[in-house]
Amino acid sequence: MVGLSKNIMRSILILSYILLVGLIISGVSALFSYLNTGADRSTMLHTEIKKVDQYLPKVNWQPLQNEGRPMDNQTLNALQNDYLDAWYVKQIAYKTNKTAGIKDYYTDSARENLFAFIERNKAENISIEGTTLNHNPTLEFFSEDGQLAVITDRNVIEYKRVFKTDTLVIETKETSSYKIVFLLEDGFWRIRHMVKEAAETYKETPKTVSVNSLNIKGINYYPQANPWDMFGEAFSKDTISKDFKIIKDAGLNSVRLFVQYEDFGKATIDYKKLEKLKQTLDLAEASNLKVVLTLFDFYGDYAVMNWTLNQRHAETIVNAVKDHNALLAWDIKNEPNLDFDSRGKVNVVAWLDSMIDLVKSLDAVHPVTIGWSNTQSASILKDKVDFISFHYYEDLDKLDEAIKTMKTEIPSKPLVLQEFGLSSYSGLWNPFGASDEDQANYHKKIQEQIAANGLQFMSWTLYDFTNIPKEVVGRLPWRKRAQEHFGFIDQNGETKPAFDYISKN
Amino acid sequence: MQLKRTYLFLLGLILLSSFVVVQQNETLSKIALLTTQTKFEVGNTVVLKFSTSKSTKPLLYCSNSYGSTLVNATLNNKILEYNIPENITKKIGVLNWKLLDKNNALSGKLIINPKAEVATMETYIGPPSIEAGGDDYTMLVVIPTDSLDNPVPTNTLVNTKFQFLASEENKDIVTNNLIAFNNIYSKKESGRMLVSSESLGVNSKEFTINIAAAIPTDFTISASRPHVYADGNQITTFSTSVIKDKHKNLVSDGTFVTFFITNSDGNILKSTGTTINGIATAKMIHPDYADTWSIKAYVDGMSESNSISLGYKQVIQDFEVIFSEKNRTITVGPLQSFMKQMIPDGLHVKLNIFKDNKLVNTLTKTSFNGYVTFNLKPAIYQNDIYNFSIETVGLSKDFKTKKLW
Repeated sequence: MVGLSKNIMRSILILSYILLVGLIISGVSALFSYLNTGADRSTMLHTEIKKVDQYLPKVNWQPLQNEGRPMDNQTLNALQNDYLDAWYVKQIAYKTNKTAGIKDYYTDSARENLFAFIERNKAENISIEGTTLNHNPTLEFFSEDGQLAVITDRNVIEYKRVFKTDTLVIETKETSSYKIVFLLEDGFWRIRHMVKEAAETYKETPKTVSVNSLNIKGINYYPQANPWDMFGEAFSKDTISKDFKIIKDAGLNSVRLFVQYEDFGKATIDYKKLEKLKQTLDLAEASNLKVVLTLFDFYGDYAVMNWTLNQRHAETIVNAVKDHNALLAWDIKNEPNLDFDSRGKVNVVAWLDSMIDLVKSLDAVHPVTIGWSNTQSASILKDKVDFISFHYYEDLDKLDEAIKTMKTEIPSKPLVLQEFGLSSYSGLWNPFGASDEDQANYHKKIQEQIAANGLQFMSWTLYDFTNIPKEVVGRLPWRKRAQEHFGFIDQNGETKPAFDYISKN
Repeated sequence: MQLKRTYLFLLGLILLSSFVVVQQNETLSKIALLTTQTKFEVGNTVVLKFSTSKSTKPLLYCSNSYGSTLVNATLNNKILEYNIPENITKKIGVLNWKLLDKNNALSGKLIINPKAEVATMETYIGPPSIEAGGDDYTMLVVIPTDSLDNPVPTNTLVNTKFQFLASEENKDIVTNNLIAFNNIYSKKESGRMLVSSESLGVNSKEFTINIAAAIPTDFTISASRPHVYADGNQITTFSTSVIKDKHKNLVSDGTFVTFFITNSDGNILKSTGTTINGIATAKMIHPDYADTWSIKAYVDGMSESNSISLGYKQVIQDFEVIFSEKNRTITVGPLQSFMKQMIPDGLHVKLNIFKDNKLVNTLTKTSFNGYVTFNLKPAIYQNDIYNFSIETVGLSKDFKTKKLW
């Protein structure tokens, strides 16, 4: 017995000794390998630095017919990058009244001119937020030794917002033409001379699209399993196809789909997602449904410095699907008026204004709208949109009155009630919520009002959802639960009583 | 009744007067531009004047080539005056302005014209080195600027001047797109061209263009050597003729010439040199056995020489070998050159040791004072029968079945 416990003691001692030695060795070797790690040699070449998209106005080079040496594409690209960077650092400098970055893109004597402005504006408490949306450069001259270039940049669309002691005093959009001399210094194409040769206030030529044939009887659509993540991993053509058939069979003729800004890759579009969007449009076409495509979902920045990035995003999407038969209309942004408080009404409206111009410049066929979250905002930019969209989740008794007000404010454009609905949730978080019957009555009543007022409509929404991302209504359970029960079809796939009133036929 | 009429009358008067006030207000808030001049010369003071009937002083937004700012007004006798800041008036181009008054959306633009004055001649010239012959050219770009660092008006005359050898020429060019440029072609001769330019009485610095000879044409080569013997000691020097381009210009110093030497076995030796005054030289040590070399030189990718042939005579006709010290010491020599003199130190002698017809080892030594001695140590070469062969200067001698003990 004693021998046994001695043996146990021995083996424990030996094992612990081995363990201790193992630990010490692994510790020392970890230290040794740590001391042997240094900077990876490849980092010396700075090959890992990637270009970040920060300023991407539309640049449309005129055919190269310059004097001097013929220009190659690589140099032209370098010139364009540095030219746009020169604008970018200038915009930042005038916004912050700091000189950072200027010296990289303006020669010694040229930068003095910018410094003079910065000094003056700083002293006078002036700051300028600006961006350029369009450039049409022509290469005039490229020197034989490749060190000097002259361009004329015609019809640069400049948007500026001037603040004096932090108060906005003027918002202006100008079309200007510049002649610019560049020198290649230290590997940068730096601006040596810049001469504004023409300047006009930007003249809008509102292009309207005929909306006489517009007859929207539709629904806001997300698949039941993956709402707000329609084009992600769970994208299923079969599901969408079945849902579209349900919608069509219910007597509706259109769906409203959402393209999320970040999800689709911001300025550089994720082509896989775009492909899925096109497939969805194909399915809609096959089901004889039209699509109202809402852009910039979950985007809420509107900062002037990001406009060019937003515009490249929209440009890619619009160009990709503008010729699709299923496309009915562009909805620039969902409920932008909710961002008025946090981002400033001026910011948001100017952003929408420019975005409408862009979309219309790319697609002259499809009408454009904005999905306002209430009836009060509906008249904002009424002259720029082709039809008015608004959402209504308030008391139905006040709807007729609100429509009447809108019709007097906007007599000439069709009104689309683009979102409405009632959550049939009553439970722990809201014991006095509406029942399925209340929801049915709601839809019955609102369909009567829609018919009486001659509105077009898109209801919210086909399904009750089980999984709402926090970005939609936040994390609060009473909001999430309510948001889950707006559907015409419940979580088990059964139609709710309201389904009978999905459309007024 | 009377009271009622009076009351109505009064009411009507009040109503009427309110209209009058409104109208007055409208006329009062009228602001109109007084300045009619829209073109200014750069550097001059620009004051925009407006007539006003109010005492408010709205801001003026103005923007030029480089930036935008806001200008405060001064009000004198119902005239609003805006002094455009100096940093704006001293740059040429369009100046657009807007009056920031809600009731009067006034806007306009002024043109700041460049001055016909040159303060500096910013000159860029490149490439700095071109080829003679009249096909190649360099480009002179001039940006004449005024004292406020603005480009001068379009079509300003710039006189460019060139001196080359005996010729002095000039050519008039005009500014366009803010710059003036001229292509300068080379002449047939190589040399240095001096370039300058002048505009409105102001002269630029002097710039130099190097006009280098064009690519070399074919040339000839020659060889010189102290004697014709293959002693492995003396040096043969190869040199080119004076290498010139097709316009008879000497090629640039430092033109790289490669000499390829092919011996009778077909092996290639290579020696290189660079030109000075058109001539490149290269050296090669003599072979140590009779051989015939064929030599040809190239300026890589551009030109080549003729091919010449050189023969080297055998320097040692025969040599003696003595075995001593139990045959373990092998003395080769005396090794005597063409005048019976001892060969200079350093001649290679190779000893091959065979045992049972298998090569055991090869020992190589260099001569010293005309002799080479090999010592075969007993520890390595045990007592036995060996065969030896000794090679030097292309000759070979065999010694069979020598016994070491």
